[in-house]
Amino acid sequence: MASSVPPPPPAIALDGLAKTFPGGVEAVAPTTLTLEAGRTTALVGPSGCGKSTILRLIAGLETPSAGGVDIAGEPPLAIRRRGELAVAFQDPSLLPWRSVRGNVALAMTLARRPTDPRAIDRLIDLVGLGGFGDTRPGALSGGMRQRAAIARCLVTEPRLLLLDEPFGAVDELTRRQLAQDLPRIWEARGTTTLLVTHSVSEAVTLADRILVFSPRPATVVADIDVPFERPRAPGLATRPEAIALAERVSSALAEGRAARERSLAAQ
Amino acid sequence: MSAIASEAPRRSWRPPAAVLGVLAILAVWELSARALAGAYLLAGPSDVTAYLWQNAGLMGRALRATLAEAAAGFVIGNAAAILLAALALLWPRAERGIAALALLVFCLPLVATGPILRVLFGPGPGPQITLAALAVYYTTLVPLLVGLRAAPSTWFDLVHSYGRGRLAELWHIRAMAALPYLFAGLQIAAPAAFLGAMVGEFTGAERGMGVLTIRAMRALDVEATWALAAVAALVSMAAYGAFGWLARRVLTEAPPVILAAPGGAATPRRGEGLARIAVVTVLALALWWGLLEAFGVNAFFAKRPDDVWAFLITAPDAGENRATLFGALAETAVYVLPGYLAGLALGAGLAVLLTLLPALAGAAMPVAIALRSVPIVTTAPLIVLVLGRGATGTVALVAVMVFFPTLIACLHGLRQAPGQVLDVFDAYASGRWRRLVHAQVPAMWPAFFATVRIAVPAAVLAVTVVEWLATGRGVGALMALSASLSDYGMLWSAVVVVAVLSCALYAVVAAVEARVLAIYAAEQGR
Repeated sequence: MASSVPPPPPAIALDGLAKTFPGGVEAVAPTTLTLEAGRTTALVGPSGCGKSTILRLIAGLETPSAGGVDIAGEPPLAIRRRGELAVAFQDPSLLPWRSVRGNVALAMTLARRPTDPRAIDRLIDLVGLGGFGDTRPGALSGGMRQRAAIARCLVTEPRLLLLDEPFGAVDELTRRQLAQDLPRIWEARGTTTLLVTHSVSEAVTLADRILVFSPRPATVVADIDVPFERPRAPGLATRPEAIALAERVSSALAEGRAARERSLAAQ
Repeated sequence: MSAIASEAPRRSWRPPAAVLGVLAILAVWELSARALAGAYLLAGPSDVTAYLWQNAGLMGRALRATLAEAAAGFVIGNAAAILLAALALLWPRAERGIAALALLVFCLPLVATGPILRVLFGPGPGPQITLAALAVYYTTLVPLLVGLRAAPSTWFDLVHSYGRGRLAELWHIRAMAALPYLFAGLQIAAPAAFLGAMVGEFTGAERGMGVLTIRAMRALDVEATWALAAVAALVSMAAYGAFGWLARRVLTEAPPVILAAPGGAATPRRGEGLARIAVVTVLALALWWGLLEAFGVNAFFAKRPDDVWAFLITAPDAGENRATLFGALAETAVYVLPGYLAGLALGAGLAVLLTLLPALAGAAMPVAIALRSVPIVTTAPLIVLVLGRGATGTVALVAVMVFFPTLIACLHGLRQAPGQVLDVFDAYASGRWRRLVHAQVPAMWPAFFATVRIAVPAAVLAVTVVEWLATGRGVGALMALSASLSDYGMLWSAVVVVAVLSCALYAVVAAVEARVLAIYAAEQGR
């Protein structure tokens, strides 16, 4: 991994950001908010509410219908071009003709960094794929593929990390282990991290801030601060204060759904 | 739609059954030859081997000449396909136009383009190489067009998330994703190049397998005819096998089975479709006229679009010309339509039968795959020899030409029924017949229609070759006669009308296909 002094993590400002897909499907209602530099923000909401669309808009992979995204004073393309952004997609998106090691190395090539075999192997070990470096994705389970994709997005030491349900296919034990290990990496570098998730407990244990979204079109119905110190303790999710916070998030989700149903009924 | 699917050839390859199948064919062939000894119809494997042994020098020289032409045509045709695919990638709006023009050129009857090229090039290997290139470029272009887009959008998102553009997309994703498709195209192209070179030689070369074939036919030399057809078949199978082997060595995944062109099943709005036909027609006419003008080819034998128009529409004898040409076409239709339909029905029917009798499929499949790689047209003299110069021989040749690709495509299609769907039938202990009717046959439709479409130009090629070589009837014979009488107005008009009719038939099949697939394979629509 690069050893130069890392530039400070970026803050992200969404200014009236909205997305309506061709055909009139409104995915994201106009949203204005700021995501602080160096913190982990979880986007929680029901399936299909537009969380992933917000993540893609921030990455600049979708063009907004209105408003814009500002990452540390620049448009998303600028930070992408410098290879300072990484996305873990919902689908692992591994290239089938490359081994696990080759897929992780691809990120360094795309980010125009010299390939660092030791850094690659270290990350492969960290995500629990030690011994599978030469294996092609076709021979891996869904969870293993997702872990390889996580290694790929961490290997470039991005300043901005966008994780779209990164643990969706990972088994429960590995998920707990990854939830322990991975934040240490982005905490150490103070990476600005955005985590899209369905899992309330995952949001509580990993994030510094939780944004709860309504059903589509996505609007923020609750903005909840997570007060737990870092590094997070292994049993955090079972502590009464974490359970209370999770219940708060769940209530906000339920309230968001009820409010949406009321507004639909009123129409 | 994209009629491309992946197949695991290793799974379908069962050496013992395949060996048994080949041995059975050799035995039946030898026994039939012995039974019919004296009838001047069949030469068995032993006769063929003896002939090849005695004429090794002659056959070797002819094979070398044909192979050299086929190799040159293979390289040129595939390079053209790669260039056209690259153009379509750089300029996506042009893709449909490029594909339509490519189809039109592919539908030009080789039998007529051969003599025209002979006049244009003069003596030498020019026509053979050009025909070999024309025979291969389409079968490589089609899979390449699909392959260059055969990647999920998230792979491109990955590239874009690092701020990289189309070049990185092409290098890291598209080129690699297209590689299996390129190999599948090259595998089909290898025997097709050999076919193109041989048809080129039929039209008046000095040396090569095609020349020997024509001589053997005229001399009623049964052993030579069978020996030449056997060598052509073996070379084609070897070329097909060599590319399959190379693909397995190079690729991490099994190469996809290419069944037919992409996009044929797309249903554009009526206005769009007409506009596209108009644009493609103008482009084709401009290319035709422009190329002849650019090379300053003599107007006596190189007819321009206005010459063909005059010949068929405005000249004083246009009515007579039309009557001759359409009379010949009607004669051809009488042979080509039953052959085409019989080939499709037999191919699909046998595929269904083999699915009901899986033990038999194990032996039949490898043999069918091997025979599919044989350019049937190169064995036309055999069918003429065995079945005579009448209707039976012609219909049989067209049917055989259509039969093998249909059988393979349908067997492949029948296997596409999802395992989970079949599990549902098994859970209710449904019999084979119910599985077949409700799950496997519907899964077969995409592959079946793909082969129905691509079989159109194949059937036209087969019927025109056999009419030209043997029966002396129909549009194939008319083309041969026009070439020998230097009636270039008729020759060019025949080329244009046959190509346009082939494209029209192809489009009709594509329209039916679109309606059927909208029900049975909605996910394949665009």
